[in-house]
This record gives sequence, C-alpha cells and structure tokens, in this order.
Amino acid sequence: MRKVRYGSIIKVPFGPQHPALKEPENFMFEIDGDIVVGVHPRIGYNHRGIEKAFERRTYLQNIYLAERICGICSDAHTTCYTQAIENLLGVEAPPRARYIRVIIAELERIHSHGLWVGIAAHEIGFDTLFMYVWRDREVVMDLFETLSGNRVHYAMNTIGGVRRDIPADTVPKIKHGMDFLEKRLKYYLNVVQNEQTILKRTSGVGILKPKDAVELCAVGPTLRASGVKNDVRVDDPYAAYDEIPFNVVTHDGCDVLSRIIVRCEEMLESINIIRYALDHMPEGMIRVRVPMAVPPGETVSRVEAPRGELIHYAKSNGTTKPERYKVRSPTLGNIPALCKMLMGAHIADIPIVLAGIDPCFACMDRMTFIDDKTNKKWVWTMQQLRRKTRK
Amino acid sequence: MTTETFLIILQILVFPGAFFLFALAFLYEWVDRKVLARIQSRYGPLYTGPSGILQPLADFLKLLSKEDIVPMAADKILFTLAPVFYAVLPLTSLFIVPVASQKSLVMFEGDLIFVMFTSALMILTVFIAGYSSTSRFSLIGGVRAALQMIGFEIPISLAMIGPAIAAGSLSISNIVQWQQTSLQWTVWLQPIGFAVFVVCSLAEMEFVPFDIPEAETEIVAGWRTEFSGRKLALLRLGRDLELVLASALLTSLYLAGPQQVWLIPPVVTFMIKTAFVVLMFSLLRAIFARFRIDQMVSGMWKYLVPLAILQVILIQLGIGR
Amino acid sequence: MSLLKEALQRLFRKPVTLKYPFEKRPVPEGFRGRPVWDMRKCIGCGLCSNVCPSGAIEMVGKGLQSEIKHYVDRCMFCSQCVESCPRNAIKMTQEYELAGFDRSKMLYEYKREI
Repeated sequence: MRKVRYGSIIKVPFGPQHPALKEPENFMFEIDGDIVVGVHPRIGYNHRGIEKAFERRTYLQNIYLAERICGICSDAHTTCYTQAIENLLGVEAPPRARYIRVIIAELERIHSHGLWVGIAAHEIGFDTLFMYVWRDREVVMDLFETLSGNRVHYAMNTIGGVRRDIPADTVPKIKHGMDFLEKRLKYYLNVVQNEQTILKRTSGVGILKPKDAVELCAVGPTLRASGVKNDVRVDDPYAAYDEIPFNVVTHDGCDVLSRIIVRCEEMLESINIIRYALDHMPEGMIRVRVPMAVPPGETVSRVEAPRGELIHYAKSNGTTKPERYKVRSPTLGNIPALCKMLMGAHIADIPIVLAGIDPCFACMDRMTFIDDKTNKKWVWTMQQLRRKTRK
Repeated sequence: MTTETFLIILQILVFPGAFFLFALAFLYEWVDRKVLARIQSRYGPLYTGPSGILQPLADFLKLLSKEDIVPMAADKILFTLAPVFYAVLPLTSLFIVPVASQKSLVMFEGDLIFVMFTSALMILTVFIAGYSSTSRFSLIGGVRAALQMIGFEIPISLAMIGPAIAAGSLSISNIVQWQQTSLQWTVWLQPIGFAVFVVCSLAEMEFVPFDIPEAETEIVAGWRTEFSGRKLALLRLGRDLELVLASALLTSLYLAGPQQVWLIPPVVTFMIKTAFVVLMFSLLRAIFARFRIDQMVSGMWKYLVPLAILQVILIQLGIGR
Repeated sequence: MSLLKEALQRLFRKPVTLKYPFEKRPVPEGFRGRPVWDMRKCIGCGLCSNVCPSGAIEMVGKGLQSEIKHYVDRCMFCSQCVESCPRNAIKMTQEYELAGFDRSKMLYEYKREI
C-alpha cells in the first residue's frame, strides 16, 4: 500500500455514535498518520430480533413487520416478502398489481437515491446541495402520501397483489412530478460532474476494482459503479420488469464519484420506467384472495432494492406462521467491499467512502449469536464473516 | 478621575469597544446564519426576537448556564485557558482596527504586524485546545488546524502587506486614511490581493470549504469536541468575533474602512461594508464542498502563494498603488 | 462554483420550509391517520384485533356486547384492520398529531350505546 510509516498507529473509533453514521454501528480504524491501515467493523448494534419476531406472527401481520426492517427501502422488503409467500402459496399477483409494484418500487428508488445523494453531499461538507436535493425529494414523498396514505411506510403490497389501486386522476400528478424531478436531477448530475470541490473529494476515492467487487460480493449501485452489469431486475425479473424496457446503468470509474453518477442516472432511468409503466398499465383487479395458512415448503425471493440485491428466505410448515425467516440485506453484502475500499483512504475520506455504499444498518443487523448453554452472546468479526461468505 | 480617562474607559468598554463589538459579533452571526439559511431555502433563526435576531445571544446565554465538563484526562489549565484566549485574541485585534472613525482605539506604527501575530496565536490556541483535551477527535482537529495554518498564513500575510506597501505605512489606521485621502479603494487597485485575502479568511474562520479542523462528519466537532458549557460559549463568541475581525480587516485594508459620507456617520458605512463582506462569506461557504487537508495545503501553496507574491511584485512595479 | 447561480436565486426567494406547528399542510385524501370505529356497524367479530400486527386493538367482551380499546401508542397505522373489517366499521381519519407524554391518555375506548 504505502511505504512511509509514521511509527505509531492510533485507533480512531467511528461510532456507534458518530455524526457520519446516521445509525449505530462501530468501525474501529487503525490510522497511520492520516492513512487508514486497518478496518474492524463490529456490526450488531441495531439488532432488533426481527427474524425471531417473524416466527411469532401470522403471514398477514408479517407484511408490516417486513416493512419495518428498514424505513428507506420499506417497499423492497415487502415486495420480497410477499413474493416469497406467493411462491409458497403458488399464486401470482394480477398484472395490474405487478405494474403498481414496479411504480412504487421505482418511486422508492428515486427517493432512496435522492436521500443518498443528499447524505453524500453532507458527508463532504456540501450542505447546500444536501438541502436542495432533499427539498426536491419531497415531491416523491408527497406522491407517496397521495398514493398510499403514508410518506414512509407505504404498505402497498399484500400477499397476492397490492392494497391500493393507482386511480386514473393521480396519473397526471405522478407524471407532472416526474417531469419536475427529471429537470432537477439533470441539473444535479451536471453540478456533480462540474463542481471542482466535489470532484476533488470524490474522484479516485474509495476505489473498488471490478475484480474485487465481484470477489467480495458487492451488490447494487456499488457493484454497478465498478462497471459490472448486475441487476436483479434484469437477471431474474420479478413484478413486471420483464415487460418494461430499461437500461442497467453502469459506470467504470470504480470510485465514489461514479457511485454518485450511477445513482443519479438510475434515478433518471427510474423516471422513464415509471412513465412507461403508467402508460402501459393493464386494467383489471389488483389482488387475489389467499388462504391464511401456507403449505409446507421453502423458498428464496430476490428483489433489487435501491441499495442492491435483497434476499429473503422463508420456510413454512403448513400453519399460519412461518417456521423460519431470513433476510440478507444489501448492506451486509457490501460490508467486505467497504473494508477493501477504506484501506489506504485518508481519515477525511472515511465518511464519504462509508456513505458510498449507502449503508442501512437497520436492514443489516440481524446477526447476533447466542450460545444457549453458556448464555454467551457474541457478534461475528469481519474475518469470520469473510470466511463464511467465501464458503 | 478626569472626564478624559472616563471617556477612554467608556470607549473601550462600550463604544466602539467591547460591548459594541460583542453586539456586532452576535449580529453578524445572525446575518451569516440567516443568509446561509436563505440560500438553502430555509428560514434560519426565526422566533427569538424579530426574525430571530436575538438567537445568537440566546444560544450564548443558554450555553453559559449549561454544565461545564472537563474531561478527566485533559490538561486542566490549558483546557480552561484556551477558550479564554480564543475569545480575547480577536477582541484585542479588533481594538486596533478602525471601527467608529478613521482612527482606531489603539494605534501605533506596525499594528498590522500585531494583527498578523494575534491571528497566528489564534491558531496556536486552537492547536492547544485540541491538544489539551486529549480526545482523539480533538487531537486530529488541532493538528489539522495547525497544518491548515501552514497553508494560509503566508498568503494572508502577503495580502495584508499589499495595501501597506501601497499606503507606505504598517498601521491599519494609516492605510484607511491613505485610501480615503487618495480617494481610491485598494480593492480596485489590488484585486488579486483581495481575492487571496477572502479565501484565506475563509480558512482562518474555518468556513466551508476550509472547515477541515472541525469537519462534522469526519471528526465529530474537531478540536472543540470536548468543550461544553461556558467554554463552548466562549469558543462561539470567539468565532463570531473572528468573523467580525475578518470582515473588519477586509473593510479596512481593501474597502477604505469607516468613511464619513455626507451625513452618514463612519460607523454606519463601516457596518454596511462589513455586512456586505459577511454576506459574501456566507455565499461562498454555501457553494462548496469541503477540501481534504492535503488538498487544501497543496492548493494554497500551488495557487495562492504565487498569486499573493505576484500581487506584491505588481505593486513593486507600480501597478496598484 | 456551478451552484452559484441557484444559490443567488434562492437568496431572494421565499424559503420552502413549512413553519409546522403554526402552518399545517393539508393531508391528502386516503391518508392513514388514527383509525376510528363505528360501533353501530361493529358486530364484534374480533377480526381487527386478531389481524393487528402490533397488538394495538383489544376486544373486551364478546359479540354484540363487546367493547373496543384502541391503544394508539402501539398503532402503526397500517390500516390492515380497516381492510379486514367485514362490515366497514373502521375508518382511517386524517388525524396525525398523536404524540404525547402520557401513555394512559393514548387509549381510545369505543363503547356501544344500549
């Protein structure tokens, strides 16, 4: 990495309480001079026992529990959950419901990526851009409120379809909002690519080579910013994505700047998807009735959440409650890649690189190990996690 | 006590001395916050006093009443003294800068050098504050502040020297007088020096893009992480006074300082000019991202030092005096 | 400097912040606020309390003699109860300022008029 050493290595903790992290999580950095030479993430501060809670509730109640795994990607989690249960039941959502799922998912992508661009700007001290992006993101939040009745937890999905229709009179409203957002996003994309101070802080920072990205199992925009074309929406289409034409945005800069650009362009792509979906939405019913009890079986469902590939695993035993439920959120997949990016970074670059994967620790923390004999609790360290992911 | 001594004491304590400067400091913090908020489509302070004008004072008073925590491992004496120095040093410098008339409260030949000296001392205070609190974030913040000083100290001194060469005096009051008698503002004569001074002032006051020593998202609050209560109140006051000092220096050295225009008293022109400078600072801090420390220092040496030297050479060649 | 123009424009425009407790934005049609029960329609089937994911609804008594207790501090406004109700006795209102200091004040009881 670098030859010159200043001798003493100091340990600088980031978190669990730190302004750069909006959620409690601990990273212990070994700093040599101004350079990071060691990263030790310690995950588990946000563990809420959600997977256990899944086993205690009925399938219907679990929709709302799945939604509350994460506030930002609440729709991705419910989509993934309902798909898993629909698989087990052997039913399929009606076509109109699948289009509505796409629209909500893409609106969520815009809102999540918009939030991230704001956070990224804040991490590099650009508070004005942060305020502007969040101001314009309100458009999406208001649309959500009109469409679903709530700004954050939309609760649109249910097993066998969606709960609310998109009435014809809101369609022009959505389109109007999309036109406004498209204009603003193009402007921000221009700002990001031309503002010298942003370029100084982001280009060439947090490099993740395509080879490393694939080896360390990076997902989502982090992976696509390293030039790897990977998107669940294309690779394993769900909802109505197989009927909608769209591009997978990639960028081969491999740095934080390209992660910003990828996310900005993905938002523009989402706007096009929403427009297409609104125009081609078939008529018909929006949900099918499903029984309360689910036949025994197990299934895996995948969804491209705003942060990357989200995997839900469900095992049913014929009752009204799942026997086992497991969530692998995109942030967990990105943590090994994150450690790779952070090695050799400056202290000042830690926040932006950390934020670069769009971490959502609320999604991620479901990993605590309890030995019931000795009642000892522990959390996996990075090395153990790596070993496990390699297997 | 004669009336004269009484008047001098009144001048030092009330106008244009300490009290007036404190009021100005709080006013400019309000202006800065309000302008920054407006740029960001926010309201800023709103409810304390008309349009929130008393908010900085309220913050100050609130902090005074808060618990004052000294970390166990901190160097108690240095930790206590650093905020006091941080507030007193810009105040001392402000006595030298003309505020209410062409002449400042204290003036002597070479007081410009004294201002440079105190501004260097300020950074030293910052470093000591960071060092004495023995927190990792404070330490990094303090070291960054010292490093940053290496970057901007040379260009800011050169930019201060420019008007002095033109006026042929090292006294700020004389420079102001020279500008007013020769009826030209130095900013038109030495625009490069003005620009260098503005950029370096941003660094001196730790404003974006140079808020590196207290970068919130990186090192919590930098060198002021461990300060609380009265000490933090003093640090905030010191920072506000620094804003007044920077704008007052810019006004005196480049914008001809307090001027009697028709019936308007000099102090009003001074306030208009300084408020304009504060507005400029707020606008500039709104439209940039933060630099990294190495980028900042190398940028300063690569661009600002040569520019400042160029300005001095131009003055020596007779352009801009 | 690419944001300079926008920054200057914004300086002379009205802020977009809503002075919230003083001005309120009207909530849209279909907003999910505090649910209310219409006890004239309620048949006391208990479905709402059974489906509630957060256990916010409690049935006291059985059938047509039952009362409903709604703990709004537990409620997460998913409106599953509204969906499950066979008699459309539950409606989501537009009320959303429900925070408070006292949990005992967050209990809404629905009794039958006899």
